[in-house]
Amino acid sequence: MSAESAPDLPQEAYAVALASMPSMGPARLRTLLAADPPARAWERANEGSRASVRDVARAWQRQTSLGIRVLLAGQPGYPARLVDDPQAPALLFCLGDPTALAGAPTAALVGTRAPTRYGIGVAAQFGADLSGAGVSVVSGLALGIDGAAHEGACGAGAPPVAVVAGGLDHVYPRRHERLWERVASSGVIVSESPAGVPTEKWRFPVRNRLLAALSDVVVVVESRHQGGSRHTVDAAMDRGVPVGAVPGSIRSATSEGTNALLADGAFPVCSCGDILIALALVGASVAVSSQFARGQSSSAASAPVPAQDRRVYDALSADPSPLDELVRVTGLDLAELCGGLERLAQAGLARDAGGWWERA
Amino acid sequence: MQHAAVNSAVLTGATASAVSVEVHVSNGLPGFTIVGLPDAAVRESRDRVRAAILSSGLPWPLRRTVVNLAPSGVRKGGAGLDLPIAVGLLVAAGELSPARTEGLSFCGELGLNGSLRHVPGMIALADAAAPLGMVVPLCDVREAALVRGAAVRGAATLGELVAVLRGQANWPTIPRSRGTVHAPDEPNLSDVRGQALGRRAVEVAAAGRHHLLMVGPPGSGKTMLAERLAGLLPPLTPAEALTVTRIHSAAGCAVPDGELLERPPFRAPHHQASIVSLVGGGSWSLRPGEVSLATNGTLFLDELGEFPVAALEALRQPLEEGVIRVSRAGGTVTFPAAFLLVAAMNPCPCGEGVYEGACGCSVAARARYRRRISAPLLDRFDLVVPLSRPDPDELLSDEPGEPSEVVARRVAAARAAGTGHRAGPELTEDAAALLASKLRAGGLSARGLHKVTRVARTVAALAGADVASFAHASEALSLRAGRAVVVS
Repeated sequence: MSAESAPDLPQEAYAVALASMPSMGPARLRTLLAADPPARAWERANEGSRASVRDVARAWQRQTSLGIRVLLAGQPGYPARLVDDPQAPALLFCLGDPTALAGAPTAALVGTRAPTRYGIGVAAQFGADLSGAGVSVVSGLALGIDGAAHEGACGAGAPPVAVVAGGLDHVYPRRHERLWERVASSGVIVSESPAGVPTEKWRFPVRNRLLAALSDVVVVVESRHQGGSRHTVDAAMDRGVPVGAVPGSIRSATSEGTNALLADGAFPVCSCGDILIALALVGASVAVSSQFARGQSSSAASAPVPAQDRRVYDALSADPSPLDELVRVTGLDLAELCGGLERLAQAGLARDAGGWWERA
Repeated sequence: MQHAAVNSAVLTGATASAVSVEVHVSNGLPGFTIVGLPDAAVRESRDRVRAAILSSGLPWPLRRTVVNLAPSGVRKGGAGLDLPIAVGLLVAAGELSPARTEGLSFCGELGLNGSLRHVPGMIALADAAAPLGMVVPLCDVREAALVRGAAVRGAATLGELVAVLRGQANWPTIPRSRGTVHAPDEPNLSDVRGQALGRRAVEVAAAGRHHLLMVGPPGSGKTMLAERLAGLLPPLTPAEALTVTRIHSAAGCAVPDGELLERPPFRAPHHQASIVSLVGGGSWSLRPGEVSLATNGTLFLDELGEFPVAALEALRQPLEEGVIRVSRAGGTVTFPAAFLLVAAMNPCPCGEGVYEGACGCSVAARARYRRRISAPLLDRFDLVVPLSRPDPDELLSDEPGEPSEVVARRVAAARAAGTGHRAGPELTEDAAALLASKLRAGGLSARGLHKVTRVARTVAALAGADVASFAHASEALSLRAGRAVVVS
């Protein structure tokens, strides 16, 4: 057992082999690699075992064959944002272009996995608007808000950044397989776990800490009372990263967490412009264009409402209403009302939200 | 005379088959054997028959007696064979002349005191006994006469019957009807406040025979609306009424004395009902299930998501073909099962799923709940409506909703004009264009397009229109918008 017998293996290979050992967490890895160079650390960790350099080569081969890039702390290419981080990962695995982690300012859009349409719409819109303004959107690629933010950000401008909990050899959650590929091709997916490590429960809070560390500002779009976003927010506050929250209805359980954050002093996010201003305050170079000024959305100005459907349009609001309520408010017969709603939908003025209707 | 053969019939499912009861009395040790695949009730008839004969003051042959039920290969059940066995025994023992029992078919249960008791499934039994004359318990004469008219005779006791058959008495007169079983008042739609969409959904379902699924939180009136749908259906036609009465009679349900059921049945089995009780069956005597009892009427499944998955999947054949085939080792029985399916379910385990942000269910729990309703089953529903709780002001108002009578008149008129299933109004160009745009946008499958078209035609027929307009097609789309809540 000797590191010198395989001089062609890079330092990263030994670090990967060390990280792939059973019961190796981020903290232990950080301690081991801080004490010794990777090859030496790996040797010491495997003293008395039958592990050989061949195992190192195999673990290394596994990463490279999957197209996974490995960034070692202290080496060139390691993200500058993490250099001074108190809990910086010793090793980062990337799928896609790791330079997306440098350069552009970053904003995290996070929230609940079971959002309302309001949350999904806001996350997707902010994702697209931020990306279009040259800000990389950082999120966790989870179901709900995270996925919606990435959906909006992919291909809209700045490269998106996804921070995931498990190894990069398997897609988690499975439902986001296509989104995963789109993020990997237009931006980068980052993980602290080597390939082959399953997505275990304890890795999510750890992931959220990395997500906060990689962001210049963290925005919670929708979250429940004790949601997982709390971990991201705590990690952001530990690092002095500004935290914003999107206000929601006081009746909505999915806005309990965000409204509580606002009460605790998070800055309110009512438009993409609010996030850009926060970024400018932390020193990121963004141009806050008038397009994103408060209260303005990026959607195009709406078409004029036809006179015959005025009554129907007036009964609609930005929040979806059930048909029963619209019948009561308009006093129209169900067929007339539905006809008016479909006409408004064709004109892009109304939207069917699962049988309930809202203004588009 | 040592041998006798008497005609009878036994029930298998909702139909009956003719059976010949052969009795042989011979010298030997006194004994009584029944052969020919009898079930427990028939085997026990030995003791009932003996007691009834002795109670009627007739002699019991103290000889070796064998009763054969032909054809021997068919399993026979029910106590209706008591009477033919007793009559055959009396003929074989020489107490009755075989000439007097010729051309008659006997059916009835015996009491120990010699009285003749009611047998379920009398309509089907009377069918199977044709063209023979029929002798049944006096209380069943009117029911059997529904299909057989004057060829049905009755007697109240075995002794009375023997007297008639010996020519010592005339057939007893058939008692007058005890009067129609007073049907409980069907609940009225005027009790429902608000709920424009739900009211409309039951109306369209009743007019076009469209299967309806209501999705809504607890307290949104799903059960209330379903119970009122039955009252909107037009009365049964005579042929339908005979089918319904026959099945109810075979299942042992109460049927009006000597009359046909007039109102379409409404069956609401609980979600813990076994699969056999739903689709019919049983190991020996195949009994019609809830789907058959609901034929020509409404089958209401409340809490659809709580039914066992296997029970729901078993509904697919009847929904497709209008019949259910129950197969057992002993054979296959086909029951009619052409019902209007009305189901209700919560959008998620906590029930609040239609209100965004109010639902506390995890993503996995919601997905699990929705998986219980398979896509093929969901496809059978033409109408999937999302219901919400009524507005408090409407709920507390004194103004009653539109009463069932008015809606039922519209339903009857629409059915007469032709609805979605047959010769309803055609779609206008802009209505067809609306549906085509939904198809292209992926919001509608090919099957979905077909169903929406049918519903739109029913909606137009209810409005008394000649064509199904843009508004009618839009309403049809809204009447299936609940799919978005159920399909994740």
